[in-house]
Amino acid sequence: MNIELTDLTRTFGRNRAVDGVTLTAETGVFGLLGPNGAGKTSLLRMLATVLPPSEGQVRLLGRNPKNVGERREIRRRLGYLPQNLGYYPAFTVVEFIEYFALLKEMPAKQVPKAVAAAVEKVDLGPKAKARLRTLSGGMLRRVGIAQAIVNDPELLLLDEPTAGLDPEQRVAFRALMRDLGQRGTVIVSTHLVEDVGAACSEVALMSDGKIVFRGTPAELTARGADHGVGDAPLERGYSAILAAARA
Amino acid sequence: MNDAMDEPDDVDLDRVWINVTAEVWRRRPGWLERTAAKLLRSPGLARALVTTPSLLLPWLISTAVIFGVGDLIRLDTGQPLVWLLAPAVTAVGIAYAYGPGVDPAWELAYSMAVNERMVLLTRAVTVFAVDALLGIAASAASGTVASVTFGWLIPMTAICALTLAVAVAARSATTGAATGVAAWAITVLANRTASGQLTAAITNTETYLPYLAAAACAAAVVLHVIRPQRGLH
Repeated sequence: MNIELTDLTRTFGRNRAVDGVTLTAETGVFGLLGPNGAGKTSLLRMLATVLPPSEGQVRLLGRNPKNVGERREIRRRLGYLPQNLGYYPAFTVVEFIEYFALLKEMPAKQVPKAVAAAVEKVDLGPKAKARLRTLSGGMLRRVGIAQAIVNDPELLLLDEPTAGLDPEQRVAFRALMRDLGQRGTVIVSTHLVEDVGAACSEVALMSDGKIVFRGTPAELTARGADHGVGDAPLERGYSAILAAARA
Repeated sequence: MNDAMDEPDDVDLDRVWINVTAEVWRRRPGWLERTAAKLLRSPGLARALVTTPSLLLPWLISTAVIFGVGDLIRLDTGQPLVWLLAPAVTAVGIAYAYGPGVDPAWELAYSMAVNERMVLLTRAVTVFAVDALLGIAASAASGTVASVTFGWLIPMTAICALTLAVAVAARSATTGAATGVAAWAITVLANRTASGQLTAAITNTETYLPYLAAAACAAAVVLHVIRPQRGLH
């Protein structure tokens, strides 16, 4: 298993952002759905080894992130796109991606080709030498995706990756996710159910820090068969499960 | 004739294009970055080192302003006790500037394989070294700046270089930081014992040479650690 979580909990003061999550994931694209404040970002940050859990066990790529040496090995194989991508405005697109490729300890000789491939995958070739401060929000999001995939990660964590992308880019990005999901584990946190339906082989739905559903997109759709809220079948399944969880 | 000889082999245009763009966009590291990559045993840390000044232009400007104001008000009377605490204040400032509060890409950098404390240590060395160079340049115009530079910035550069050298050798930023703090405490106490003045470590001009020697020793340690291993093949 690439991801093994056991009773994972994260508290901020009295607030239990993630509440006893137990989850496993193998190769494939895994969607993490839920309303704002459900705990998706906190869960993703723990998977990215940025946020330590308050309680529970985490094993990523067969390693324990509490151990310094094993955490380093995980991070070498990790790609992470935070919800709020911070960037250095004076860096160019290539410089930014290269910087993080080096911090991921990729062999220096492999970096130029890996950077070029990542830039092409997100279709930013014409902007490769542009400074980040000159890019639009959607372009910056694609820069963030490029730095996340530059090391061909075994574990890719994407927090709201399609926010700010236009419809054409979102379609291209879903294809990219499916491709990456054939070689590693891709976890996509989103509240856009159409992304999940188009790209994910499996989906989990979070509410109030807990996982209240896990299954395939088809199973999620089936849960909404008799539920009237939502325009699309997946949305109806989503709202049906959330309503049941809140009840 | 073999038909196959007349037809070109299939060409993977994507692969060719990636090779072309990789070459076109390739950034050639300068001599400083290449040297730093060898000394620090990490191209990532070397990149962090050379990009540090460009990340915070206001820091460079504020350094110049501090030198200017310091020169104007000439606070060089009496014992400069504040200089003994200034390194800690500066270290906190550097940590804050490149920490979660200010560094825009902190969360991303924190998830990387290169240890975040090593990156911070590298940035601290860069900040002190660049400030020391600015101070040396400004010393030509002002005696006050010279005393700040030689009494504080150069010792701090030496201590930080020692810290980084130990951290690289021991592969532990914590070990390096502990060594650096211990070295500074020993230096201050030893000078106090010798002269009876608490601030002798930063006011006694005879200590400048040992500081430079300490920096040289730190460089030697790093060079020793990264020397080519003989007899292994």
